[in-house]
Amino acid sequence: MKKIINVPENYTDDMLRGIYAAHPDMVKYVEDDLRCYCTAKKKDGKVAIITGGGTGHLPLFLGYVGENLLDGCGVGGVFQSPSAEQIYNVSKEVEAGAGILYLYGNYSGDIMNFDMAAEMLEMDDIKTKSIVGADDVLSNSNPDARRGVAGIFFMYKCAGAKAAEMGSLDEVLAAAQEAKDNTRTVGFALTPCVIPELGKSNFTLGDDEMAFGMGIHGEPGVWNGPIKTADELASESMDEILKDMPVAEGEEVCVLINGLGATSLEELYILSGSVRKILDDKKIKVYRTFVGECATSMEMAGASVSILKVTGDKMKKWIDMPVNTPFIKL
Amino acid sequence: MDKITYEELPELFESVAAIFAEKKDELCDMDAHMGDGDLGLTMNKGFGALPGLIKENGVEGDIGKTLMKSGMKMASLVPSTMGTLMSSGLMGAGKAMGSVPELGAKELSVFFRGFADGVANRGKNKPGERTITDALEPAALSAEEAFAGGGDLKAVIDGALSGVEKGVEATKDMLPVKGKAAVFADRAKGVPDQGAVAAKYLIQGMHNYISE
Repeated sequence: MKKIINVPENYTDDMLRGIYAAHPDMVKYVEDDLRCYCTAKKKDGKVAIITGGGTGHLPLFLGYVGENLLDGCGVGGVFQSPSAEQIYNVSKEVEAGAGILYLYGNYSGDIMNFDMAAEMLEMDDIKTKSIVGADDVLSNSNPDARRGVAGIFFMYKCAGAKAAEMGSLDEVLAAAQEAKDNTRTVGFALTPCVIPELGKSNFTLGDDEMAFGMGIHGEPGVWNGPIKTADELASESMDEILKDMPVAEGEEVCVLINGLGATSLEELYILSGSVRKILDDKKIKVYRTFVGECATSMEMAGASVSILKVTGDKMKKWIDMPVNTPFIKL
Repeated sequence: MDKITYEELPELFESVAAIFAEKKDELCDMDAHMGDGDLGLTMNKGFGALPGLIKENGVEGDIGKTLMKSGMKMASLVPSTMGTLMSSGLMGAGKAMGSVPELGAKELSVFFRGFADGVANRGKNKPGERTITDALEPAALSAEEAFAGGGDLKAVIDGALSGVEKGVEATKDMLPVKGKAAVFADRAKGVPDQGAVAAKYLIQGMHNYISE
């Protein structure tokens, strides 16, 4: 294992100390618990949006806490859920009188803990609603059983904008749902990542081998085999996405090309160009293209392609709303 | 004893903690047989801490809120599946009971109903899947029956204990369909489910206290 750390056990908390020290004007923690990550700029009367999940995916999840995006995040250890208590403490801090939306990825540990926190808040008469990202097409044929991956970016963007417009809890939930219904992702890994406390990766790939459809914790994909070209990977990804969510000629989409941690921006733009060619050929209009890291798996090499089908001008406004967090400035 | 007061709540769970301390190795062995092996440790750690959590997080005179808060604290301490389920049971029980200052026959039957529902909802368990729910559901039904028949606190806990024992026995003939245990399904025959047994010890501990 070659990592810039002190001791593996402190990976998450040392990372958090670094973040708070670098961005004290934007974020803070509560209850003496570094893992209760909250915005430092709470806005009265706004629906609070809270996310959470394991460490190892930056800028996911906590990186989306900031202006016109989210208000708080429960931070778990590497690939682990935050506790219900942490989510509850974040909720109590950032709740601003208009209720709370829990928006996170579809993983059973996270669901149990967010549900538990919601039950506690109900006792305090604080209203919560929940929605999970489940955009990873190849993780399951049943849409409700899919994992949440990079496509949650669009849910954060739409829900965050609606909340910033001072929408009600139901309206913010509806914005997240609209993004969810119209987002699909396909991803692939070229190399594994090392979990600090294990000191090794939880799967292996041969030198010239890749895993298509792999999840962001190394969950097995649909095939392992020799590495393909950017054009081939774009084509296979777009086939799967469009098979699951048809987009007609003339319709508009947003594209998100996400790096998994160790893949260069150069490569991501090569992939982005390949995806664009396919969309142009199909006469699908591209409203916006985002290229970069938005959901990683530490130093895993690989990428994912997410497509958001744009439903109208209202959604365009949400996507275009500027955002500012320590990690994301658009 | 015809009721348990708010002040006595930690003692009730000290009696539960005592059983889990005693049965730690037995539960670990049962769990190891089905592919895991930390159940005894988890239960001992979680329930061992519970009386203290109740004292620290108690809401004076409000047993429902106290159980919900201490249940959530226990979940942080034992984040494994069974730790989360037991914590969810406590929270479900607290929620179902509401703001009551003491546990009488009625409240105790509501406790078991809320506990069983809390676990089943969190784990998305259905009866017959060889889980802790197969022990908690008959316990809740027997407790409710005992109360409906005019029983006192002792009758309700007796009912819960006989219900949970029958439930544990019945899991011997069930095949696991969920989690890691499903992988070792062929080892399950004739052996009770370890989660169901943990439920039995919980109720056994409460029974010991009430029968004293």
